Amino acid sequence: MTAYVVRRLAWLPIVLFVVSFLSFAIMRFGPGDPVTVAAGQYRDPEVLARIRAEKGLDDSLVIQYARWVSAALRGDFGDSILQRTFTVSELMFPKMWVSAQLGVIALAIVFVVGVPLGLIAARLNGTWIDPFIVSSLLFLQAIPVLVLIPPLLWLFALQFRILPVGGWGGLIDIYWVGGVVALPIPDPHLYLPLLAYTLGGFAGVARLVRITALEVTREDYIRTARAKGLSEATVFFRHILRNSLLPIVTSVGLALASVVEGAFFVETLLGIPGIGSFLFEASRSRDYDTIMATTVIIAFVFVLTNLIVELTYGFIDPRVRVQASR
Amino acid sequence: MSGQNRVLAILLGVLAVLVVAVGGLSTVLLLAGGGDDDASTGGSGITTGTSGGASGGGAAASGVLRLPGTDPVTLDPALAGDAGSAQYIVEVFGGLVTITPDLEIVPDIAESFEVSPDGLQYTFHLRGDAFFHSGRPVTADDVRYSIERAASPELASPLALPYLGDIVGTRERFFGLAETISGIEVIDDATIRFTLDAPKPYFLAKLTYPTAFVIDRQQVEANPRNWTRQPNGTGPYRLREWRLGERIVLAANDRYHLGAPKVQEVHYLLSGGSALTRFENGELDVAPISVNDIERARDPSSQLNPLYQTSPEFSIFYIAFNTNVPPFDDVNVRRALALAIDRKKVAEVTFNNMVLTATGIMPPQLPGYTASDKTYNFDPDAARAALAASRYGSAEALPPITMTEVGGGAQAGIDTQAFVEQWKQELGVTVEIQQTDFATFLDEQDAGRLQMFNGGWIMDYPDPEDILDLKFHSESQLNDVAYSNAEVDSLLDEARVVRDPERRIQLYQQAEEKIVSDAVWIPLYFSLNHSVVAKRVQGWIEPPMVLPRLRFVEIVE
Repeated sequence: MTAYVVRRLAWLPIVLFVVSFLSFAIMRFGPGDPVTVAAGQYRDPEVLARIRAEKGLDDSLVIQYARWVSAALRGDFGDSILQRTFTVSELMFPKMWVSAQLGVIALAIVFVVGVPLGLIAARLNGTWIDPFIVSSLLFLQAIPVLVLIPPLLWLFALQFRILPVGGWGGLIDIYWVGGVVALPIPDPHLYLPLLAYTLGGFAGVARLVRITALEVTREDYIRTARAKGLSEATVFFRHILRNSLLPIVTSVGLALASVVEGAFFVETLLGIPGIGSFLFEASRSRDYDTIMATTVIIAFVFVLTNLIVELTYGFIDPRVRVQASR
Repeated sequence: MSGQNRVLAILLGVLAVLVVAVGGLSTVLLLAGGGDDDASTGGSGITTGTSGGASGGGAAASGVLRLPGTDPVTLDPALAGDAGSAQYIVEVFGGLVTITPDLEIVPDIAESFEVSPDGLQYTFHLRGDAFFHSGRPVTADDVRYSIERAASPELASPLALPYLGDIVGTRERFFGLAETISGIEVIDDATIRFTLDAPKPYFLAKLTYPTAFVIDRQQVEANPRNWTRQPNGTGPYRLREWRLGERIVLAANDRYHLGAPKVQEVHYLLSGGSALTRFENGELDVAPISVNDIERARDPSSQLNPLYQTSPEFSIFYIAFNTNVPPFDDVNVRRALALAIDRKKVAEVTFNNMVLTATGIMPPQLPGYTASDKTYNFDPDAARAALAASRYGSAEALPPITMTEVGGGAQAGIDTQAFVEQWKQELGVTVEIQQTDFATFLDEQDAGRLQMFNGGWIMDYPDPEDILDLKFHSESQLNDVAYSNAEVDSLLDEARVVRDPERRIQLYQQAEEKIVSDAVWIPLYFSLNHSVVAKRVQGWIEPPMVLPRLRFVEIVE
């Protein structure tokens, strides 16, 4: 098991190297650069050339990349041109925190709602409810976030005026009942992004749970369990549910991917100060250091989460552990 | 069926009730107009000092002014090139001269100055009572250090040459050929002299811009990377707190040499959605009015109406033609396109008259501005005649035309669509719209690859040189339309150095007339500021450009 973890961890730097080098190279070959953007109205070519030289943007790609890596290894992710008073790290981590909170809550909702829906569908397999649940979830999944948000905004923010148009206000607001009882309630800024993140996510989880549950139900040991007179509840919770959980754990990684991906659109459209909108803004103004730092950190979190998922997998299912240690 | 189904049903039921309850509660809360704004999500922040500050003479300032705002890109005066940063910097720092809300250039850290008869030497005498916020008096050496630092190769500020390049030796300093600027001479602690490369009357106006502001050498050298987090300036306000994305707090500098501010603290609230909504909730004292709310602000029966004010800004939007690229190397084609569009109608229909139709290139309030219309106005017959007079003769003979603008790519600007439609209708000319992101746009523009584009220019100092010379002189690096007219050049050359202010203005007006007649730009609109100001705020000024204004404001409860 230890050897397995070590082997997996050894891949991490390689993945990060590939991701960072590719982002670095692609960025430099695109049109425009941060010096031009930062200069604003006054863009004298001679001056811009001097600034590029001063900032080392004239050096070869490899040298620039090496310089970036050596600084990044020391924890210095450089400076943003969009916000020159704070370093990229100082700007990035608070935004990651916002995105992480939203992402974790969204994932939790996807599973809390998706798993029971899948189980219900499996349970009611053969009735009209099963295809109804599956097809409604597929319908929701088919709507791209970009298409989903404008009507949601129009409905809740402009027509009913019950939700804010966008922005971020933390997780919890305190609602005073009669000025005496403090009741914590979710901040109203949360609803729209969470809807956008989760609506499309239920289908994946629910279908996975449904199909596994159906398969498990047909297994011999379930028949045996029923035959020896176990109550339906015991059969369901002890045998079916537990054995259906395994693929759900793997789907955490996939669901995380869709949340990270969605973050770019959701955060940008709803004005949420998270890592997605941050990276979007940065790439629009060719803010090299910011783009690099965010891309690499997102890749890092991604790889790490998948690793943890795999390890959990092994923890739940001894078969994986045995295979891996071979 | 059996047991576990009931359990599931109960679980789901509980979940549903929870969701509804929570949703309902927050809805009730929102409808009640509550919702406390505790937007504290961690984050980088800066707090300097505690309270009070040095107490000097004059009545103590009082009250808190609450304004909408955004995080500045930088608080380093030498690097700030955007209005968003400059609006804070002009309150926290100061230079030798400053600009009043009436656009008059007056002494700031300098008490007086004289110009040599040949117009080449500017000698400034510093006042004895100008102090940094830390209490240290400002010396001529501080001024020299600040300007030499702003022009240093290490800082590599794109603003150094545009603002300081008129001083002899600035170029050498910027390109790393000299350690100092030879045209700056410290005569004694209170006297400093600048030598210019030509007698340029607009030099003084450039000194009012942040690039030439005075910073505290000791502070900068002690902490070169982070000093702007607690900047030690000389301005009417000092930075007390900056919480990134949340708020910026400025506190009055009671011993400010030009007169202490009347408002004790200014809070810029950087987050929290629509400024107008927050204004109406009593959370902000000033809010801009957007095109969605302008009807309401103009409606005499609205509560906003008595608080609404509008004033011109020093900026112009235009369509530019690259005079190097066919078909726009033909003046008649440019004129035809200019004559074929109805800017007044578009300003009315698409912008709800929130902008002024441009009457020339120089915006209102700029010295040299006249209200008389110098531009080509909508005249379809004249447009067709101009096209017929061009070397192409007809729309069919024209090469393909592409107009580029900055945008997301989904849809052209609503006014652009209207213009494209009119060119099609009145002239039969098809103009393709290409949208690019900002970085690509600048790159293409600088490379001279754009055929025709949508542009804007914001004035930085109130002198016609800041637009006419920079954008239209054939040798200017900022002339991005390859315009070259010997007559215009000679007018601009003379205006650079002529000492008689009236003659100067006349020269610029003549140049403007020629440029407009050559249809290098189609001047579209001058922008207007639209805002609402709470009754408790007195002395609020919306000047056409960024300048120190907070110290004139008073809170009346």
